[in-house]
Amino acid sequence: MRRFNEKELARCNGEAGASAFIAYKGNVYDVSRNFLWQGGRHFRIHTAGSDLTHCLDLAPHGEEMLERCPVIGEFPEE
Amino acid sequence: MAKVAREMVEKTGINLDQLVELLVKNAAAELTTFYYYTILRANLIGLEGEGIKEIAETARIEDRNHFEALVPRIYELGGKLPEDMKVFHDLSACPPARLPKNPKDVKAMLKVLVEAERCAVRGYTYICNLTAGKDHRTYDLSTAILNEEIEHESWFSEFLGEGPSGHFMRRGETSPFVGKFIR
Repeated sequence: MRRFNEKELARCNGEAGASAFIAYKGNVYDVSRNFLWQGGRHFRIHTAGSDLTHCLDLAPHGEEMLERCPVIGEFPEE
Repeated sequence: MAKVAREMVEKTGINLDQLVELLVKNAAAELTTFYYYTILRANLIGLEGEGIKEIAETARIEDRNHFEALVPRIYELGGKLPEDMKVFHDLSACPPARLPKNPKDVKAMLKVLVEAERCAVRGYTYICNLTAGKDHRTYDLSTAILNEEIEHESWFSEFLGEGPSGHFMRRGETSPFVGKFIR
């Protein structure tokens, strides 16, 4: 499975036709085809290409939503 | 725009642009759900489907009411709706509640319906949390909508065998909670 670093992940921000990937707890999820991540943005709050591990606690949903998206890589946690 | 009302909300520290966008996104979810539920309702037929048709219809009408109730608040806060209907559809806070590939699969339809309601419950809970004790009018409206969305979820959930909803379907008028905002 592909290992992403911060720069590589940041490039996958869903803008201008780029894929939209997000990191969560060491995994990288492809949210490109998710209706709620169009253009790499999730509501006004989150952007693709970033590690959202610490954001889920504040979200109105849990990990079950991420389970609907394919894991396509690893993002080693610091 | 209600200038002072907007100022009061801003002074509480709420990010007003974010709040307005959330309201627009949820208004889009309500109107698109009204549309998709129209198709689902039409396809709820036969021995299994007919039993669900009535609650799908109530949920459909109440979701339209939610849209009607949200729009004035969006404009009061200085927001507006997109001019293009397709843009409005695509910025919805919830994915389209499309008819399943097999329109005779009533359980699949129920899953679409319950997922749509659960998305709404999450969304309005978030707005309630964001506005509680700060933006009283948006909070009041969101709480009213949330009450109805929770009931919709429990109706469909009951049919999926997840346990009793705990209450009967509507008797009389629709939108017992949101009605005061659309009279």
